[in-house]
Amino acid sequence: MSRQDRTTEVQTIEHRLGARLAAALAEQAQALPHDLSERLRVARDGAVARAREVRQPAVATAGGHAVVSPARGAAALGGFVPWWHRAASVLPLVLLVLGFVMVERFATFEQVQAAAEIDSMLLADDLPPDAYSDPGFAEFLRSPPPSE
Amino acid sequence: MATDKELSDFLKSVEKRAFKRTVYAVRSEDSALDIVQDAMIKLSEKYADRPPAELPLLFQRILSNATMDWFRREKVRGAVMQNLSDFEGSDEDGDFDLLETLHALEDTLGTESAADAVSRAQILRAIEIEVAELPARQREAFLLRYLEEFDVAETAAVMGCSEGSVKTHCSRAVHALSKALRAKGITL
Repeated sequence: MSRQDRTTEVQTIEHRLGARLAAALAEQAQALPHDLSERLRVARDGAVARAREVRQPAVATAGGHAVVSPARGAAALGGFVPWWHRAASVLPLVLLVLGFVMVERFATFEQVQAAAEIDSMLLADDLPPDAYSDPGFAEFLRSPPPSE
Repeated sequence: MATDKELSDFLKSVEKRAFKRTVYAVRSEDSALDIVQDAMIKLSEKYADRPPAELPLLFQRILSNATMDWFRREKVRGAVMQNLSDFEGSDEDGDFDLLETLHALEDTLGTESAADAVSRAQILRAIEIEVAELPARQREAFLLRYLEEFDVAETAAVMGCSEGSVKTHCSRAVHALSKALRAKGITL
């Protein structure tokens, strides 16, 4: 018998012995106590339930209607979605934009009011004596008043 | 995509063997149950959309990783060294007893009438003990190759090693089991 044949024969015997030992192990595995089998069953059921949960959002977004609305279920199933449900989903965005515009307007108005108040206070205040020695103020006094 | 029923059927077909395989590694039924449960959940969460044909390889890979994670969490250096060591005893004894072992096993376990139930149970138990005593990589290769019936390439993919390593691990495991069972006087 050649070396090659011998090697092949050994591998064949190894494989048969390995398979036989594994068959014995499989037999032992199938004979698990009832409580262990039950715990494995519960684990399996939990895993299948988890797979179901994972699949559901994927299906819901697959239709392109991943909008949070009462119609999500119908959208996920490809059913009819009333127009007011679609409009309602855009409403928060519209309100947000309107809010920004109003805040901007109010801030501008506040700035104008503050500037006007400062100007009024300056104009109504007493003129300090140093102002009469200021060349710019003297020029201002000589210049004609602006026409109405 | 695997349906709920296909996923359930697959898990049902592998759960007991997966549990046993994990018990051999971690030597604790409670820990093994936790690990198998974690592997099932991970498979369901991440790979439920895969075709049923891909599930066996994925599950075994996840189970191997979950077992490794368990060892890391445990941080029991002694246990890790014992179970993950790649140092393996020499197998210079050749195949002197392989054929004899095979014939003895087939005579003893092959037919119902060949042995009484008590000695049969004892032999099965002895095989389990010796499998648990194998070095981790040898045991993993042996169980994937023969218990899960993966081919060499699939086993190598799950273990993350070369096909040559798988063959070596399997050969050494079979020789070690044969020798150990023979030493126990199971006419081997």
